[in-house]
Amino acid sequence: MTDAVVDLDVHLAAIVAGDTAAFAAFVAGAEPLLRRALRAFASAVDGEAVVQETLLRAWQVAARVVADGRPNGLLRWCLVCARNLAIDELRRARVAAAAEAELLARSERDVAAWVPPDPLLRERIGACREKLPRQPARALSARLEDAGVVADRVLAERVGMALNTFLQNITRARRLLAACLRRAGVFVGEEAV
Amino acid sequence: MKRDAEWALVAAASSAWRPRDRAGMVAPHPGFLDLGEAGRVRLHEVVEQLRVMEAGLDAEGLSATGRAVLGRVRGGGRP
Repeated sequence: MTDAVVDLDVHLAAIVAGDTAAFAAFVAGAEPLLRRALRAFASAVDGEAVVQETLLRAWQVAARVVADGRPNGLLRWCLVCARNLAIDELRRARVAAAAEAELLARSERDVAAWVPPDPLLRERIGACREKLPRQPARALSARLEDAGVVADRVLAERVGMALNTFLQNITRARRLLAACLRRAGVFVGEEAV
Repeated sequence: MKRDAEWALVAAASSAWRPRDRAGMVAPHPGFLDLGEAGRVRLHEVVEQLRVMEAGLDAEGLSATGRAVLGRVRGGGRP
């Protein structure tokens, strides 16, 4: 694993005791690396579904993580879980074993090379959000406030947009935020769409 | 797949909302299932970018994914 990850096991005892704030801190630290570990499988596996399923299982099994003297025991468990879930999906899609091995190797390289987000992002993104036009800002806020509870067609209805308009505004919001951050010297991935 | 249709599927599947399968596991977004391989790779890039920005806007540093997971955990019962 990359040395760029702090030891999230500092939260483990509290997570085992049922402290959801501690689990939130773990999730905030673990999620980006888990997602990166699934990039190699992206053409066949919905990484979002796997990340969520993995983190939900982590909450349930944290008490069974055995200390082995190395940092990030729970995160390492999550990486194994996420890759196993991805492999299950590959097998359902009848992807060849040789391809499976190559994807696992790529996943390990991706994790080893992962770099955390620029800390300047938190300083700059609030101001970038303030500059968003009204409709993209409304669509983005709707998604953030809902936190994945309902599908976008419900969110679109709530803010009085047609679904396609809502999706266009989400895309505009993402692109405008990324462009604003770039101008502020903060790079958040490549321009994807 | 036409670019317009793919774009809309990517945007839709960039949400943190995911259905559950019959076993209660988090399942793929319906839009993901309709995307071709290139569209799925693009989706991963979009979501990776979006989640970093969402986390930057959140007081606890949680993306929409993190909020979705914590929502189930804090809701009680089987997450």
